[in-house]
Amino acid sequence: MSLKRVLVAGGGLTGWSTAAALKRRVPMLEVTILPLATPPSALADHIATTLPSILGFHADLGIGLGDGVTRTGSLYRLGARFCGWVEGLPDYVHAYGPHGTAVDGVSFHHLWARAARDGSVAAFDTFSPAAAMARAGKFVPPGDDGLLASHGFALTLDVPRYRRMLTALARHVGVREQPGALAGVETAADGAIEALVLDDGSRIAADLYCDCTGPQALLHGPLQAPREDWRRWLPCDRLVLGDAEPVQDPSPLDCVTATASGWHWTSALQRGTVYSAAHGESEEEPIRFEAGATLEPWRHNVVAIGDAAVTLEPLEWGNLHLAHSAIDRLITMLPAGAPHPLEAAEFNRQALAEARRVRDFVLLHYVTSRRDGPFWQDVASVAPPESLAHTLRLFRERGRLPYHEEETFDRNSWLAVLFGQGVLPRQTDPLADSVSPADAHAAMARFGAGIARAIQPLPTLAAFHAAQSRHLHERA
Amino acid sequence: MAGQPSLRVIIVGGGTSGWMTAAALARLLPKRCRLHVVESEAIGVIGVGEATLPHIRGFIEKLGIREADFMAWTRGTFKLGIEFRDWGNLGDSYIHPFGTFGRGKGDVDFHHYWTRLRSAGIDIPPLEQFSYGCMLARANRFDLPASDPAQLASTYGYAYQFDALLFAPYLRSIAEGLGTHRTEGKVVEVLRDALRGDITAIRLEDGQILEGDLFVDCSGFRSLLLGEGLEEPFEDWNHWLPADRAVAMPCRTETAVTPYTSAVAMPAGWRWRIPLQHRTGNGYVYASAFTSDDGAAQALTRAVEGAPLADPRLLRFRAGRRRRSWVRNCVAIGLASGFLEPLESTSIYLVQQAITALVELFPDSAEATVERDEFNRLIDLEYDRIRDFLILHYHATRRSDSEFWNYVRTMAVPDSLAEKIELFRRAGRVVKYREGVFLDASWIAVYVGQGIVPEGHDPRAGGPDTATLLQAMKALHGEIAATVARVPEHLRYIDGYCAMAAAA
Repeated sequence: MSLKRVLVAGGGLTGWSTAAALKRRVPMLEVTILPLATPPSALADHIATTLPSILGFHADLGIGLGDGVTRTGSLYRLGARFCGWVEGLPDYVHAYGPHGTAVDGVSFHHLWARAARDGSVAAFDTFSPAAAMARAGKFVPPGDDGLLASHGFALTLDVPRYRRMLTALARHVGVREQPGALAGVETAADGAIEALVLDDGSRIAADLYCDCTGPQALLHGPLQAPREDWRRWLPCDRLVLGDAEPVQDPSPLDCVTATASGWHWTSALQRGTVYSAAHGESEEEPIRFEAGATLEPWRHNVVAIGDAAVTLEPLEWGNLHLAHSAIDRLITMLPAGAPHPLEAAEFNRQALAEARRVRDFVLLHYVTSRRDGPFWQDVASVAPPESLAHTLRLFRERGRLPYHEEETFDRNSWLAVLFGQGVLPRQTDPLADSVSPADAHAAMARFGAGIARAIQPLPTLAAFHAAQSRHLHERA
Repeated sequence: MAGQPSLRVIIVGGGTSGWMTAAALARLLPKRCRLHVVESEAIGVIGVGEATLPHIRGFIEKLGIREADFMAWTRGTFKLGIEFRDWGNLGDSYIHPFGTFGRGKGDVDFHHYWTRLRSAGIDIPPLEQFSYGCMLARANRFDLPASDPAQLASTYGYAYQFDALLFAPYLRSIAEGLGTHRTEGKVVEVLRDALRGDITAIRLEDGQILEGDLFVDCSGFRSLLLGEGLEEPFEDWNHWLPADRAVAMPCRTETAVTPYTSAVAMPAGWRWRIPLQHRTGNGYVYASAFTSDDGAAQALTRAVEGAPLADPRLLRFRAGRRRRSWVRNCVAIGLASGFLEPLESTSIYLVQQAITALVELFPDSAEATVERDEFNRLIDLEYDRIRDFLILHYHATRRSDSEFWNYVRTMAVPDSLAEKIELFRRAGRVVKYREGVFLDASWIAVYVGQGIVPEGHDPRAGGPDTATLLQAMKALHGEIAATVARVPEHLRYIDGYCAMAAAA
């Protein structure tokens, strides 16, 4: 048989993204969506902050800036500012892009680390053009050359409007919408789903099912796939989510501040508090979640996407990114016929490697934190998983970051957080010997001055959005 | 800074690995090490790896060597890939290119479209005819790749075929120019710290004792320090890669100086042909369990294309590797660390990867646990990946004309490989990775070239209608042929670029 009918369950950002992408990129599929409302604990469906990968996802679907950003009320973002994660150190910015520039072939970060160890040097993020631009409240997308050519940017979504855009796109490309509620799941003797039963008694069957229903995993859950629990490393399990106060001049940076029992953030459109119920409480009714991932997001003929597959606190905003990545991976690995266990196993291997590495990056913030209080003592004292321990060992010894195939956050991001939280390598990379400290110092000073010059004339984020919006209207 | 210690590095063995290591350390880490190479002219140099992979270019460049100088010195030729003859079946031939199929762009890999047309019963040329690099090779032409990714001429890479016996002296002159010491002599004893077990010094035949902080074992198959000295166990892969001997014999070039290496399957192994500027290298890699040394030598002598330039020379080896390459304060590089037959020209590549890892992880003292573990992890990855790729060549065959081929065709292969093959057989899926050696196109070339044609294809390749697709394929085929025809012949290109000095 050839794979023809795909059913997507879940009517949040994840479900609509899945349905629209499948139909758009593999037009010969018959894609049906059962747009069940997802609970607030489906974080990928509700967190407004996204990563730069969302623009690649848009490009693959043919969503331009006009539809994807301006008409959905989304705002550009360049990164996040972290406050209070290490007591005694100033706040730092993790923006998406490189720091400094190589000198005579020697990576900038080795030179910076040497200078930092030998004495005083400006903070690492002052050498990131994107971070400096973001701190100044300004925004431009990367240009063709110059200092502002290599940074990434992402979006802060107006979630309801963005979902409506996805819905319209999905309908436009031919996704069929199936109304109704789920009443049951019929499985075959081998464990695969045979059909979904709806509340009116009707049955719908497909060749492949995508479970985008959130952590309850209405389709995938009954298959009893083993799950990996991450709570011993990431004890935060409560989230309070709200809209941000509207401001005249929104910042391209979110502010992520450590609290006694977790952290809270404000972005241009949303704010939230994440904490560990064992260490603190909230006056508002929180959303509950449990950090972890299924070991087999693809099992039989069901693929779990979004929180049905992996749940992670929103620190560093990997939630929707992991859903997008799963969608991409599914499209790339879509079986020609009936799903085969080997194909599922390869999908699962990649998905799990990716999820664990995002987990490692989130956890990095905790294991390198230094704050008083029981919560911070607890998170900083637990031994990290071996993959992160290995990264930390290598970095602490010699400033090296091991390569991982399924890495979401690139070296720039790892360096921003490691140096931002005061982790310095013990040794200087031998290859840095070829650049004298004086030469390195001069190169850093030149680079810093170049950033200041490049940023001065740029528009504020609000001004940039206004200009882009005007431009779209004029064209229309 | 000023306090950075400089380690005494003793390199044992001065073949290709030894001098590559010395030259790289001397060039890249002049302040971190004092280099001392111990070699003996009485011990022959194996001189493996006359054919290389494209990664070698990065090495040459890092050392600040001009490509044309290096090629003229080593009498090198260009290499666009490897031709495999008689592997899937007698009479088969395909090229594994250092390049892609199709234009190397688009969401869906080219071979899915090719598979789709083929399984629809449409008479379509072999996959390699849609690879610019393959067709350039078949036409015996060469030019440097284009940098503009829109051009077909950007879809391939290249490596070199050179005289390895000339390579080591070339590197030696560089290393010595940068202050590397060299001592002539045979190592007779490895002295170790009684308490810690680290190597403290080596004793030479003339009684001389050389002390060091870090020891690099480039002693070849003997593995003098790592194997004999530190007794690191050897992991034997003979059951998957049964070839354990080779007989080598250069000859005059009578046919073309091809811009590719040939690997011709033989009754008990395979035979290489590596054309250099001044001669052609030949060798028969065989399993001694399936043929005698005399039989192999005779088969090689019969097969070579021109007058022999030397007597057949016998080499013995074992496929496999030392469990770890860096143990205590001893790093083994090259054959001292392990051996994989030169079927995919990986010998020098493995040396180069080990050197790169050593440079990047160069320790500031003999206490280097973190560095050592990371080095061994990186080397593990390289060996495992190459091992599976090599086994694939033997296993994916329909040949049943000799005991040897019957054995490799039916032997059990590692699970990791069995799964890769099955994924490709079902729907043309290739396990992707971005880093390392032998990326997608290499696997595709060997799978398809040896008769594993996918049963299905990526559903997205089902998009365009057959007529449109066929037309696009024909256009590409025509464009490749037209572009190849404008490229100079390989030898003419060499004459203008890097001809060797007049024969001595």
